[in-house]
Amino acid sequence: MKNISHFSEHIKRKVLIVEDEFINQQLLGNIIATAYEPVYANNGKEALEILKSGQHISLILLDLMMPVMDGYQFMNEIKEIPSLSSIPIIVLTSEKSAEIKSLQMGAQDFIVKPYDMPEIILARVARSVQLEEETEMIAKTARDPLTHLFTKSYFFEYIEEFRTANPDVIMDALFIDIKHFSLINEMYGRKVGDELLVALSKSLKGLFNKYEGIVSRIQGDIFYLYISHQKNYEKLLKRIKRETFLPEHHDLHPDFKIGVFPNCHQIESIDDAFDNACRAGKLLRGSYTESIKYYDEEMYQKELYHEKLILDMDKALVEKQFKVYLQPKYDITGDEPVLTSAEALVRWIHPVYGFISPGVFIPLFENNGLIQKLDNYIWNEVAERIGYWKKTFHKHLPVSINVSRIDVLSPGFEDFIEEVVKHNGIETKDLFLEVTESAYASDEKEINDVMIRLQNKGHLIEIDDFGTGYSSLSSLTSLTFDVLKIDMSFIRNMLKSDKNLQVVQIIISIANMFGARTIAEGVETKEQYLKLKELGCHNIQGYYFDKALPMDEFDEKYMK
Amino acid sequence: MVTIEKLRNFGCNVDEGLSRCLNNESFYLRLVSSLFDDNKVQFLIDAINENDLQKAFEAAHALKGVYGNLAITPLFKVTSEITEYLREKKEMDYRPMVEKIQELYRQFVALND
Repeated sequence: MKNISHFSEHIKRKVLIVEDEFINQQLLGNIIATAYEPVYANNGKEALEILKSGQHISLILLDLMMPVMDGYQFMNEIKEIPSLSSIPIIVLTSEKSAEIKSLQMGAQDFIVKPYDMPEIILARVARSVQLEEETEMIAKTARDPLTHLFTKSYFFEYIEEFRTANPDVIMDALFIDIKHFSLINEMYGRKVGDELLVALSKSLKGLFNKYEGIVSRIQGDIFYLYISHQKNYEKLLKRIKRETFLPEHHDLHPDFKIGVFPNCHQIESIDDAFDNACRAGKLLRGSYTESIKYYDEEMYQKELYHEKLILDMDKALVEKQFKVYLQPKYDITGDEPVLTSAEALVRWIHPVYGFISPGVFIPLFENNGLIQKLDNYIWNEVAERIGYWKKTFHKHLPVSINVSRIDVLSPGFEDFIEEVVKHNGIETKDLFLEVTESAYASDEKEINDVMIRLQNKGHLIEIDDFGTGYSSLSSLTSLTFDVLKIDMSFIRNMLKSDKNLQVVQIIISIANMFGARTIAEGVETKEQYLKLKELGCHNIQGYYFDKALPMDEFDEKYMK
Repeated sequence: MVTIEKLRNFGCNVDEGLSRCLNNESFYLRLVSSLFDDNKVQFLIDAINENDLQKAFEAAHALKGVYGNLAITPLFKVTSEITEYLREKKEMDYRPMVEKIQELYRQFVALND
């Protein structure tokens, strides 16, 4: 608040002179121009037009007798316009009776004709302007009762004025919040949380002894800073980290998320600047290492795209825009490879964006729980297809389906699968479950318990992406599984790098040790296939045999 | 050309008029000069002749305001007087007052010769 608190004194306020006599207009204008910017109107109607055009007028000097629309009518009209009714009016008159009537109609003061000395006129104008602005300020400065920082409306009002007065000063818009603040509230109690907010706001306020700008608490632990442009914010972050502490709780070391929208003097809407800073800051959610994020347009577009996908999901399910693809899995233990099962994969054929990779939408849906809806859809589609094969082709081919930890941990999961099996007239052994190794990372026991029960019912359990996650050999001993799927990254490189080859060998031996089978994913060449056969891998899937096909194409090729 | 001196001699309270112009003489004289080809006096005379007292009041009131602000004291006095009668819409013979205004205005315009 170094300079910013004083800049408003340097802005020339506009005074609207409503007077039909040219000479009077000129006389007043000449006096007013010494301290204000005069704007002229020849009658009440013109004055209303100027006011409605959005010019910010600080005071109106109003003659009473004018053609077209006189001063009284003008006062009546302006009273009815909420955005304009608070502009102070000083009436120009020579009649005592008019003075009283004008005051009754809401005029704040009057100037007699012939005019008083210029000093008196200026003093009366200044007093009325100040009175009005103080009233307005008091209404807006209602400060945040907890931190005594400016409220949001006052903060933005100030910025608007600052921008008008200093269009070329380079400023940044910052979003700041405390990482895991709700956790702090829960662990230490709300009172400590509040104390922390106060400590942070003191630190932020202190910044403006050094930098130019203003700070506001927007809500909860979210603070906005409008600050002179900095090359980087590491120093600022260090400072608020150092200063935001509670002597009675030295174990409490809060960390912060800072979203930066730099050079916000270039953007037209300051609200947009802070929205963008906010977006950048929120991208740091869940990050333990990063604390400062700059907004960039590409990031925003990506976020918009993701939001759009989430919004479109329900409609996509109804319209069956999600297509289940099947990739064959071959048993390679005999002389000739034999098709023994398939993996269900999903693609999204979006009406606007076209083909969308599951690599884009699956993590998105996993993040917000929507994945369950999609997975349920896939279970139904696949089970129905297996039933159809049985009835139509008298063929039996199990299909594996990827399940996420959200599915597994949801209360109705097992009943849901049972129902799907029953409803489609198929058997539990027709449906395999693929669970990624990383899904076990948390809630290992809960997930494994579900897997044990499903396995007991006859489903086959495959551990997907094996070797890429966190599982240790010790956790493998407690997990239930029938198959280890060797991640394609190892297969792709196994003929190029000995290390990868050794990993593949080790995974196969581990699987053997646990009496499980192995499936190699992403097999693309004959050499890879032959090598895997030689190493004792049981099954393979990949382009070498076939890519994932839409279900109808799969039927055409493998069922008829 | 009208001058400060001529106005002073005519009876104008020049100091008061000047101070309203922030003591800018040329600005003051420019505003005064704009009164020389003003048709408001004729407007007042016409309104009186038509016996339209409301119109006459508005004209007299406007003249009074301007003369007052520029401190053209002789004209301010007579227009103030007639304005008050006209405000009351008093039925009376306005001609002597109008003739006085006309005569003073003629003298005032002559200051510009």
